[in-house]
Amino acid sequence: MKRLEPRHWIFVGLFVAIGCTMLLKIPLEIPITDQTQKMYDYIESLPEGSPLIISFDHEASSLPEIKPIALSILRHAFRKGHKLIGVALYAEGTLIGYRLMQETAAEYDREYGRDYAYLGFRPQYIAAILSMGESLEQTFPQDYLGNDFQDIEMLRTIGNYDDVAGVISIADGSLTTHWIEYGGGRYDVRILAGVTAAMVTTYDPYVASGQLNALVAGLRGAAEYEKLIDREGGGNRGMLAQSTAHLYVIVLIIIGNVAYFRSRRKGRG
Amino acid sequence: MLFPVLATTANVGWFDPDKLWTLIAALVAIVIVLYTTYHRKSRDKFKVRQIAGISAVEDAIGRATEMARPILFTPGWGGDIQRPTTIASMNFLSHIAEKTASYDCTLIYPTHDPVIMTVAQEVVRESYVRAGHADRYREDNISYVSSTQFGYAAAVDGLISRQKPASIFLLGTFEAESLILAETGNSIGAIQIAGTDSTIQLSFFIVACDFTLIGEELFAASGYLSGNRSILASVRAQDILKVIIIVLLMVAVVVASINEISGEQLLGWWGF
Amino acid sequence: MERRLPLLVCFVSGLLMFIMYFSSHPTARLINLTVPLYWQIVFAFTLIIGVASYLRNNVRGIKKGESRPYRIVSVGGFVTMVAVAAIWGIKADTPFMWIFENIQIPMQSTVFALLAFFVASASFRGFRARSIPATILLITALLILLSRTPLGNLFDFLPDLADWLRNYPSMSARRAILVGIGLGSLTTSLRVIIGIERTWLGGDK
Repeated sequence: MKRLEPRHWIFVGLFVAIGCTMLLKIPLEIPITDQTQKMYDYIESLPEGSPLIISFDHEASSLPEIKPIALSILRHAFRKGHKLIGVALYAEGTLIGYRLMQETAAEYDREYGRDYAYLGFRPQYIAAILSMGESLEQTFPQDYLGNDFQDIEMLRTIGNYDDVAGVISIADGSLTTHWIEYGGGRYDVRILAGVTAAMVTTYDPYVASGQLNALVAGLRGAAEYEKLIDREGGGNRGMLAQSTAHLYVIVLIIIGNVAYFRSRRKGRG
Repeated sequence: MLFPVLATTANVGWFDPDKLWTLIAALVAIVIVLYTTYHRKSRDKFKVRQIAGISAVEDAIGRATEMARPILFTPGWGGDIQRPTTIASMNFLSHIAEKTASYDCTLIYPTHDPVIMTVAQEVVRESYVRAGHADRYREDNISYVSSTQFGYAAAVDGLISRQKPASIFLLGTFEAESLILAETGNSIGAIQIAGTDSTIQLSFFIVACDFTLIGEELFAASGYLSGNRSILASVRAQDILKVIIIVLLMVAVVVASINEISGEQLLGWWGF
Repeated sequence: MERRLPLLVCFVSGLLMFIMYFSSHPTARLINLTVPLYWQIVFAFTLIIGVASYLRNNVRGIKKGESRPYRIVSVGGFVTMVAVAAIWGIKADTPFMWIFENIQIPMQSTVFALLAFFVASASFRGFRARSIPATILLITALLILLSRTPLGNLFDFLPDLADWLRNYPSMSARRAILVGIGLGSLTTSLRVIIGIERTWLGGDK
């Protein structure tokens, strides 16, 4: 049998560390960050019934991290009685987005067509963002379920971005950048986002410049949002595993450096 | 009515005054790019500093040839053909393909986008013809694998694990798949040259790859490798524009500081 | 002619879209709306090229015996999904979506999860105090990581310090890189529009 290399032991260690913490249920005390608070405050401040576009800009792979973020934002928006318009700019996010909206709408007795609508997927995200800026109806003549745009009650008053209070991009990659550059830059629509932790630093410059109005970041952001809306949704539980992984990486870095200095001393000797 | 939304803006003029400053900035940039590209005198005097990644390209190709193992080149999952990074990476591909044709070294190019695949096939074919070895060109080596991010990552990882390329070029727009590919490449001991415009992925590449072209270096290196004087000269436009931006930033800092200290908007015109 | 026509189309459409950006006139908006719609239609056709090439490559590979088991799984998966979609459709609660939710999503999440393992091994290898800049990088990484764990809450200053590192030194560097990338993109795009950059046509030295 082939001998395991050090990196294989690192993998096994991480698997064991995360596996063990997933079995535990220790609630973590998580302070609310400014960006999560800003997202909450914005949704909270809108008058009841404000239309919002929720764009599911992610693939299936990131669902474990994306789902708690999406659920908490959707729950808050539905609870406040806002009208939600779902779109997907990746084919794989289409069904996931529809299921998440359906699930959360049912929790608050929201009705399809009156309180929310799901327009589905359009290929070529830049083209889709640009054409929605001109006309949502021309971009999506029918919704995901095959209904004509004009037959959906809540969409009759929606022409383009001028008629919505903002776009919330739920993303696992850089698609939010296109929303910022093309939707925000060209059509002045307010852009907010919920993204995976790995993407957070990409968006920091946009947050600082005000081009991105609020950012819910990763599982931690989801856990913070869950705390704000007082509703558990998987974020807090995931945070424990994530914190363990962070600690594990810290330990690895220390071990790596100790080994490095020992080998250097040996080399000198 | 065909487009009911448009009716509401029927009496709007042709020029949107809100975009005046954007237009001025765009025109300044265009004039500078055109000047540096077409003004023969300034174009010919211009030199590009040595970028470590460029000299490593030759070593990487030589290594693969000596080891009789393939070279793998992939442009990442995040871009499409209209993305400037993808276009810049095509100049690299063209250069590398010409060398692999001469040395009879296998070049593998998996991609997530059918259009990129078609363009890459055309680029590589032309390079093989230019090198005088059209018979060595294999269309199957430039392939579309999957449009989904981790389908693509799994396919490229599989290729790396099975074919064990001696050199790997990760040049283009990468997202979360970057570290998965770079670490797999590292585990088989391949020499890796990376370059991307995704700032977050740069940190992964710097840790896992031998050479990393940071942001604009990718564009500069691409111009350098293209061998086209006009393309290379336009790199100079970037430097001139950068100087303009630095000056504007410094003025903005001074103005903002004056406003902050005085408590008044003394130079309110800066607000554009 | 083979090269001139696409170059001309590129120049005219590039110039047109540039001009249209600065206008809110109904005609400009109509163009802004129509061009992306055609763009989407053209993209749909390019997928056919991808699928045809994918199938051809894999079938050839199976015949030649190159990575046969993997290629059989690939082609088998493709044929199954097309057949299931053709028979039952692709809406919610169809067999196509069952396969998507219960096979494709877990498989893709697994590949995504590999990232965590690779981050661990790359950190172990990469963060070594080999030089002064590497030591600064190492200390910064440790501070940021610590601030993201419950241990970070034990030290009052740590979350603020981590935020400061992210928002000032790190952000300045990223912004500088972004400006460079933006300028690189600008010049590349202009080169494409005016026709001196022709690699997208397959190269033209």
